[in-house]
Amino acid sequence: MRAVGAWLRRRAENVAAAMIGVMFVAFIIQIVFRYLFNFPIGWSSELTVIMWLWLVLWGAAFVVRESDEIRFDLLSGAMGKRARIAMGIITAVALVVLYAASFPATWKYVTFMKVERTAYLGIRFDWLFSIYLAFAAAVIVRYLWILSHLLRGEEPEQVDLTKSSSGL
Amino acid sequence: MNPTSPFSLATLAIVVLSLFGLPIGHAMIAGSVLYLWMAGLDMGTAAEQLLNGMYTSYVLLAIPLFILAAEFMNSGSIMDRLLRFCNALVGRWRGGLAHVNVVQSIIFAGMSGSALADAAGSGKIMQILMTKDGKYTPAFAAALTAASSVIGPIIPPSIPLVIYALVSDTSIGYLFLGGVVPGLLLGFAQMALIAYTARRRNFPVEPPVPVRELPRVAWQAFPALMMPVILLGLMYSGVTTPTEAAAAAAFYALLVSALVYRSIGWRDFHQSLMNSARMTISIGMLIAGAIVFNYVITVENIPKTISAVLKAYELSPFTFLLLANLLLLVLGCFLEGTTILLIIVPVMLPTAQALGVDPVHFGVVAVVNIMIGLITPPYGLLLFMMVKIADVPLKDIVRDILPFLGVMIAALALITFVPELVLFLPRLFGYQG
Repeated sequence: MRAVGAWLRRRAENVAAAMIGVMFVAFIIQIVFRYLFNFPIGWSSELTVIMWLWLVLWGAAFVVRESDEIRFDLLSGAMGKRARIAMGIITAVALVVLYAASFPATWKYVTFMKVERTAYLGIRFDWLFSIYLAFAAAVIVRYLWILSHLLRGEEPEQVDLTKSSSGL
Repeated sequence: MNPTSPFSLATLAIVVLSLFGLPIGHAMIAGSVLYLWMAGLDMGTAAEQLLNGMYTSYVLLAIPLFILAAEFMNSGSIMDRLLRFCNALVGRWRGGLAHVNVVQSIIFAGMSGSALADAAGSGKIMQILMTKDGKYTPAFAAALTAASSVIGPIIPPSIPLVIYALVSDTSIGYLFLGGVVPGLLLGFAQMALIAYTARRRNFPVEPPVPVRELPRVAWQAFPALMMPVILLGLMYSGVTTPTEAAAAAAFYALLVSALVYRSIGWRDFHQSLMNSARMTISIGMLIAGAIVFNYVITVENIPKTISAVLKAYELSPFTFLLLANLLLLVLGCFLEGTTILLIIVPVMLPTAQALGVDPVHFGVVAVVNIMIGLITPPYGLLLFMMVKIADVPLKDIVRDILPFLGVMIAALALITFVPELVLFLPRLFGYQG
């Protein structure tokens, strides 16, 4: 089970690396076409924006570990184990309830977007935006899993302070 | 303001969830959903705002590309050549290696848009060089590396300035130009402090590099030194948009590392993509959350309300900037930089504009401020990073960083109250402001 999870996560990482690679290459093609061949292409900028949107939501859903995420941990770091577990339970419950509560309306919005297509590549927007549904579902499942550990009194993994920020 | 209104409760929820350790991006999305729910609005709006906001914010694409460029440039052998070049320039002064540390940061700032990338790239090397044979105390070396890394995102390219360009609708090109002089000023302030400390604490001098060696050392570093020139050249000649310039810079960095210096192979290439993806995802989630919450803020008309309230006090632009600086410095001690840029700064912007504060000036001041927050205890990210790299207790680094903080805040005051320092270069390139 754990091995399968780790394998899947590595593949999810490969996908994320590929997305940023595609973004990079599409930009280079765009510059080459516009300035060397004097032939502006529109699909490349559309592709890069799609990659950006998907990279962030795909990554937030399947790639980032808890310890990678940007959070404020001055308070939780200073608390004892029991308090940390209690705080973890509160946040996990709040997150699951709110993401779950907005899920039906989100589903409605995303499926409604089937009426539109992107300008150059002609991708239907419901497909394009479906990544949000995957993201929301993955977050709900992840936090239910975290919650199950917290309820058994297991501590959430310690957060690495140098990784918990965007690191401008 | 009504304490039980949907907006107050949503804001409270975001603060409490963040304080309790929920990732800030999720906290902002969850709080905004709570707002929509209580206000009886369509809860799908959160997703709608997030998706459309991310899909239409083309300028943000510069962020992953600048991260990628710095990743490609961050390989060991490029750093070695840069350091040798800096050493040939300033190593012969008293406190030579300390000066090298700052000059290296200034040059690397022209390739990377992130202070963390700078500290991670050169931090370890500088730490070893400076503490070898007990030349400098580990705490001083660590404090200096943290302080000099701050210059990275002020001199272009700069990820925080790209984010500011998004929230303020200001030109990236002019913002980047506005960062040049303040970045150099911070560097000079640090070098002046080093020169003073060097005499008092009798810092060592590096063996001088003979002048006839200089052309060779410069030539070896030349391809790396050209990167900022290419990047800025492409942007200001109007050949490419800033975002495309970021892609071209990443491409150039890849060519230089792979073909000229042969310091990057397939494995490193994949690793660079992976690191950039990871960093893009965490910044992206924060931006995504902020887009949703900013929608709530706009629906509630918060910035205009604040602007109207402040207008009643008849602040002068200077008083406003002073107050804004104090607020940002205090917030910077506790909050993470991107969050401040995405949430707090947009709330201040209408007031700044109403008072006639120039948006480019305000942006650079805010970013310098937030960067200083990275080295301010208790929540200074770069301090934690150097604790890890240098293996020195935090309190020792803090003691040695205080003088640097002093001169940097003095430089910030100068930048704040002499807007020409920021605006001189953009105006030279046609900025009408």
